[in-house]
Amino acid sequence: MDENITPEESLLLIAKTIEETKKRFQENGHIIILWGTLTFIVFLSQYILVQLELYKVIDIAWTCILFPLGGIYTLIYIKRKVKKKNLPKTIIGSIIITMSWVFGVNLMILGFIFGHQLGKVIAPIFIILLALNIIMIGISIKFKPIIIGGILLNLIGFATFYINGQYHALIMATSAVFAMIIPGILLNIANKKEHV
Amino acid sequence: MFNDLDPILHSQLRLSIVSILITVDEADFTFIKDTTKAAAGNISIQIKKLQDAGYVKIEKTFKNNYPNTTVSITNKGIKAFEDYVKNLKKYINPQK
Repeated sequence: MDENITPEESLLLIAKTIEETKKRFQENGHIIILWGTLTFIVFLSQYILVQLELYKVIDIAWTCILFPLGGIYTLIYIKRKVKKKNLPKTIIGSIIITMSWVFGVNLMILGFIFGHQLGKVIAPIFIILLALNIIMIGISIKFKPIIIGGILLNLIGFATFYINGQYHALIMATSAVFAMIIPGILLNIANKKEHV
Repeated sequence: MFNDLDPILHSQLRLSIVSILITVDEADFTFIKDTTKAAAGNISIQIKKLQDAGYVKIEKTFKNNYPNTTVSITNKGIKAFEDYVKNLKKYINPQK
């Protein structure tokens, strides 16, 4: 019986199996929303603290706690998800995870070690690097709102060079909403619709 | 009937398994079972046939003290799958 499948049925079977496999390890927007929210909280609070002239006292500790906590949570979340669903290794998955870690570590180094040397250009550089990472994730999972969010963020990054430094943190907080939180929510909605 | 079609791949379950493996770097036995929804015994037999043909590589390890079988597609398997799809298209669109 097995060998009697027609070429049309074979092609259909291949397409269906590949689709089913992809669906099983499809990422929801959870991690993107989490990092968007962390970025939003950190930079909005930074903006407010600058306005209140409390920046140096509180901000460093705040950033040092929230981002590493996000990193630890992401690690645990991915590990648990892989274990629960028996997820296979994929080239795209490995690229996204590696690139995101490389990006995160580079940002930390830029911010904490070279922050003083970079001065006001740190925010545009941060935004441009974040945009590249988001565009890469969007292209990898073929999700247009994330790609559009990334491109928008990229443009905002360049525009930030012309904006007064005191508003940079506010721009970053707003960018996180448009480039990460909203596309992340849209990805969640799209995934839920597909699974109905 | 379909002479040019690789008999190793022209079987529902084996074709499903190779289609999964073409999408991922490697997959463990449970993932293949969950995705194909086939019986474990049948999957084992078909994977063995694919291994004998040199299309897949099987690695047996231990994960959390339990035996874990990981399967991945070989270069020969990728080439065979590409040829199989090419031949399928020829059957469907003979003019091309």
